[in-house]
Amino acid sequence: MSGGVVGGHRGFGAGAQRAIALGLMAALATPWLREALEATMTRHMLMQFPLVMLAGALLAAPADGRLRARIARWNAHGIAGLVFCAVALAVLMIPRVLDLAVRDAWVECAKGGALVACGAALRLSWRTAGAIVQGFFLGNVVPMSIAIGQLYVDSPLRLCNAYQLDDQQRLGAWLTGSAATLGVLWLLGISWRMIRSDSDAPAQR
Amino acid sequence: MLRTALSSAMAIALGYGAASWLTHDFQVWTDEGARRLEVALKPIASPDIAIHGPTTAATTLPALLAGEGGVTIVDFVYTRCVTACLALGSVFQQIQQALLADAAAGQRDRVRLLSISFDLARDDDAALASYAARLHADPGVWRFVRPMDAAGLSALLRRWGVVVLDAPFGEFEHNAALLVIDRHGRMVRVFDLSEQQLALDYARHLARSVP
Repeated sequence: MSGGVVGGHRGFGAGAQRAIALGLMAALATPWLREALEATMTRHMLMQFPLVMLAGALLAAPADGRLRARIARWNAHGIAGLVFCAVALAVLMIPRVLDLAVRDAWVECAKGGALVACGAALRLSWRTAGAIVQGFFLGNVVPMSIAIGQLYVDSPLRLCNAYQLDDQQRLGAWLTGSAATLGVLWLLGISWRMIRSDSDAPAQR
Repeated sequence: MLRTALSSAMAIALGYGAASWLTHDFQVWTDEGARRLEVALKPIASPDIAIHGPTTAATTLPALLAGEGGVTIVDFVYTRCVTACLALGSVFQQIQQALLADAAAGQRDRVRLLSISFDLARDDDAALASYAARLHADPGVWRFVRPMDAAGLSALLRRWGVVVLDAPFGEFEHNAALLVIDRHGRMVRVFDLSEQQLALDYARHLARSVP
């Protein structure tokens, strides 16, 4: 979902990234920003979710080598991290989560924790995953998001008591669009890299 | 690789557990579905709040619901509504007709209707009375009340899981439904608007069964 945040951030040291992450999490936890981001279903899922994941990704800034190695042993080829991410996103897209998160502090905390973990897992896993594992991950998450997006668009009933029907349909359209865009961008990136490595290959010999 | 398989399996188990808790073992996917299931499993008593209405002297909700020893079907409305409450109104009209027919046929099941307004700013006694007149409500079967104050209203909405949203043009959006309240004033079932016959039959059954 926020695949773009993974990698990058070369400009900041790990300490600075973690400080930014903590600042972002503190800001997102303030009642004012929480209410603003949860006022509509669209902002809730497509702005707040990615922002919390971004905080998680920043929090997972390169740690010292020993810790990284220890994590990597439990996360070969980034498989466990991406499995966690796919499962967590599937659970978080159950319509009841949005309603419960708005009215129940415990669920809100669990949702935040899961999203932070998701962002961190994504960053710790994405590069080591390689194209095949990445493709498998996106092959699950992208169609799932599109299916759920279409469900939101097509449902004649409100799926969340806390949100209006037109908001739900808007979220559905945006969820479908952004998931499809993410999938296409990834495919373009892979194709670009394959083309480039093909044309580089003879020169290296 | 074994460790990775183990941690992946743990992630899946965690997700399965969370999803199973959220959906009551994969039976419901929405909060409204969960609310209806939870009520059916465990009745919810009415909160002790003050209410009154055009044909109802000031009293408390539990007293009104339990007072006459019958079963009540409750809906939440606001009188300016032109969407869901219109549907609710016609559903209640049809149920009222069935109940009056029951009474005419000599059946003594005590099922009554109660519409509770959540629009405290606009729905005073006069507004409720004219709304009742517009719907041809029979005061012996169908009454209209509103909570005395905002604190009582929010306690009631929270307790019974009614969510009211502000919509454009001064309207409200709410999870309109038929709430069946037993003779002890406990909410025992929540039916969809499309399940009016089921709601009526269930209420009749409750009213008939002793005590």
